[in-house]
Amino acid sequence: MNAPLSSAPATAPEAWAINVDHVGKTFTLDGGKELKAIDDVDIKIGQGEFVALLGPSGCGKSTILRLVAALEDVSTGRVTVEGSNPTALSRAHRLGVAFQDHALLPWLTIRDNIALPYKVAGRPVDDKRIAELLALVGLSGFEKARPRQLSGGMRQRVSIARALVLKPDVLLLDEPFGALDAVTRRHMNVELQRIWSEQRITTLLVTHSVEEALFLADRVIVMSGRPGRIIKEIQVPFARPRSPDVQRTMEFHHLADELTLALEPEGHH
Amino acid sequence: MSPVSQTRSPLDWVKTAISRYWGVVGVLIAWQAWVTITGVNSIVIPHPINVVGDLVFNPGVYLANAGQTLFLAAAGLILGMALGTMVAIVAWSSRILSGILVPLGLIFSSVPVVALIPVLARLLGYDVKTVLGIVIIISFFPAFVFTAAGLKSLPPGSSDLFKVFGASRWTRFVHLVLPSAVPNWMIALRLSAPPAVLSAMLAEFLMGKSGLGFLFRQSATEFATERAFGTSVIATVISVLCFTSAVAAEKFINEKWK
Ligand SMILES: Nc1ncnc2c1ncn2[C@@H]1O[C@H](COP(=O)(O)OP(=O)(O)OP(=O)(O)O)[C@@H](O)[C@H]1O
Ligand SMILES: [Mg+2]
Repeated sequence: MNAPLSSAPATAPEAWAINVDHVGKTFTLDGGKELKAIDDVDIKIGQGEFVALLGPSGCGKSTILRLVAALEDVSTGRVTVEGSNPTALSRAHRLGVAFQDHALLPWLTIRDNIALPYKVAGRPVDDKRIAELLALVGLSGFEKARPRQLSGGMRQRVSIARALVLKPDVLLLDEPFGALDAVTRRHMNVELQRIWSEQRITTLLVTHSVEEALFLADRVIVMSGRPGRIIKEIQVPFARPRSPDVQRTMEFHHLADELTLALEPEGHH
Repeated sequence: MSPVSQTRSPLDWVKTAISRYWGVVGVLIAWQAWVTITGVNSIVIPHPINVVGDLVFNPGVYLANAGQTLFLAAAGLILGMALGTMVAIVAWSSRILSGILVPLGLIFSSVPVVALIPVLARLLGYDVKTVLGIVIIISFFPAFVFTAAGLKSLPPGSSDLFKVFGASRWTRFVHLVLPSAVPNWMIALRLSAPPAVLSAMLAEFLMGKSGLGFLFRQSATEFATERAFGTSVIATVISVLCFTSAVAAEKFINEKWK
């Protein structure tokens, strides 16, 4: 859809929706010390693929998401999204992100927070879609509430609704269900799977839950800490649509054990 | 808790009124007692009853002058804060201008503006224009300093959020930067409202031809002590009302904003 304007591109048009191409990221701390957050991370995500990222705290998962969202620049390597610079996607209002800290605007009502992407993109606000999404995240009736009147988990759900409202082409979720209780979390997983199946948005999900990763993703990537590296990658074999029953199968348990083992520090040495 | 205790009887209101304002009443009683017992000449200290009498029987004089002072204070406050906000926005929009304006603002905000009244009177004339000018200057600096800081104190993560949404500089300004400054702007309003009234009265006192400040000077020089004290009472009431309403406005906005 985007024909080359002048000279032919140096590489063939990329088939990858997200291409994190041998990327390293080094932060300079106050005082000049350097901190290598991630090293030689290579993640290729196809169109409409759902990839989950697992790893210990501080291994650079959020950093990878921020690189894909064009909020940070790479130190080495290259990141492209749909074949071009990641900034192009956000400029076209086609990127949906739910951050680890929900980042709701305190002076807007819940409804207005979810309507914000429409305002920013200069599009008419679709109240029907907002109502649908609020129902989906289980917050119907909270339209007029303000963020501070909601619990942490409820705020996270609002930020997921906000990430989805413009029907983005790429969805980045950073521990979106981290503050939820087990039951609500499972329910949200089922709902997220349902809307994802409808739209097949290319999704990169960061999570600490092995079960969540296996239930939602087509592929699970495991990272090790300091500097963050990819140590394992598994293809999730379960057919879609997945019912919650899949989590009770033997195969699910085997894969969960395999991932848990990989996450333990001794697991890969 | 019985439902009876939740509806407040008039007696309760009287009780709260006494518990809050017994100090004022006490001063009035002590004042009256002292003046009566010692028999001080009423040119030095008037009887509180006479002050109340002057307030009750000559409301027109007080109303006209208080109305003018209040109008000048409000107009100056609005203009000064609008100007301060605009300059803060200009400073926000350009790093170079910000580097010049913010330190200048901090330096000038520590100049005692009262000292400028004679200078300003020379420039603008010995009338309401100078009074208005002083109130504008007084209200300008808090609005500028606080708004400039407020435009930079964005909610955590919101800046990244607007980048991810692909917000233009303008939408970012309208939907994020400006609303972020509102709580600070309310602080500036609370800080500026009482000095606005005070400086309007002071300017009127020093060089005005009308208003509460002028009324006080005039009645004091004519030894109309009841009138002078009455003016003080009105001025106090106005100042207290301005302050409490600014505090209430700030509280109201903060409940929505934070
Ligand atoms: N802006 C920054 N400046 C300096 N160091 C940073 C910055 N952002 C991240 N880091 C460092 O990079 C490393 C990875 O951080 P990151 O937030 O990506 O971890 P994470 O995998 O998301 O952890 P968690 O699971 O706890 O959210 C950490 O050691 C962190 O201290
Ligand atoms: Mg993180």
